[in-house]
Amino acid sequence: MYKLSAVLTGVLVAVMVTFNGLLANQIGDYLAVLIVHIVGLITISFILIFGRRKINVNRDIPVYLFGAGAIGVVLVLFNNICFKYLGISITLALGLFGQSIASGIIDHFGLLGMDTHTFRKEKLVGLILIFAGIIVMVVY
Amino acid sequence: MMYIILAFISGCLVILSMIINAHLAKKIGIFQGTFVNYTVGLSFIFLIVLFRHSAVNISLNALLRLPFWIYLGGFIGVIVVAASNKIIPRIPTIYSTLLVFIGQLFAAILIDYFTGHAISKGKIAGGLLICAGLLYNFYVDKKHLDVAQQTF
Repeated sequence: MYKLSAVLTGVLVAVMVTFNGLLANQIGDYLAVLIVHIVGLITISFILIFGRRKINVNRDIPVYLFGAGAIGVVLVLFNNICFKYLGISITLALGLFGQSIASGIIDHFGLLGMDTHTFRKEKLVGLILIFAGIIVMVVY
Repeated sequence: MMYIILAFISGCLVILSMIINAHLAKKIGIFQGTFVNYTVGLSFIFLIVLFRHSAVNISLNALLRLPFWIYLGGFIGVIVVAASNKIIPRIPTIYSTLLVFIGQLFAAILIDYFTGHAISKGKIAGGLLICAGLLYNFYVDKKHLDVAQQTF
């Protein structure tokens, strides 16, 4: 059941990037990012209010932990632009490749406070397959 | 070519923001962290739009004329965060990553079909190759994870 939910979460990501991309095509890239964030903020506010959860941001939180919000803006913007020119499947396939590479590097060096997991050379086979798949997608 | 690089960078940024989110969530909670992210993000994009007047040459009427569902991206984004929060602790991370990837990939191929982008045999073949690569690395990770667990 949870495995099916994981697949559905992936489907939702694809639907989300599509909606955002279509919105950007209609009203422009920057304004679309603004609206996506307004709608998202309203949604999360409702969840916090109905869950009666309190926010306590007074503790010592290093500034870089607030950076994810800014990254999110760049992310939605990039996705919108790529959606327009590449379509959704190539955009997401390249994204998955980027995720695989980035997580491999971060794990290997134990960056950003993560545990170190040395990169296994066998995994190059998988990365090459993914890369080949992307080339097939883009070219044909 | 530029868009291909942008899409790749987006993937790297996803991982970066996931890690930062996880650290933030540990301190203040997952939903509180999401709230902080959207607040920071909204302030950021608000400033950008403010300084780029050309970006807001659109009337309220034009906004209202668009179908309702087109505005749901931000809503779905929060639902994805909430769903991941429920699902990911209940199945091993490598499973969840693989399953989320596969869901994304095949939904994307279907959506391209429905939004008029070409769906070709190449996209399906490419999608299958990508899945093969993901699965292969999944088994490499799984093998070493099992070995690591046995040694404890």
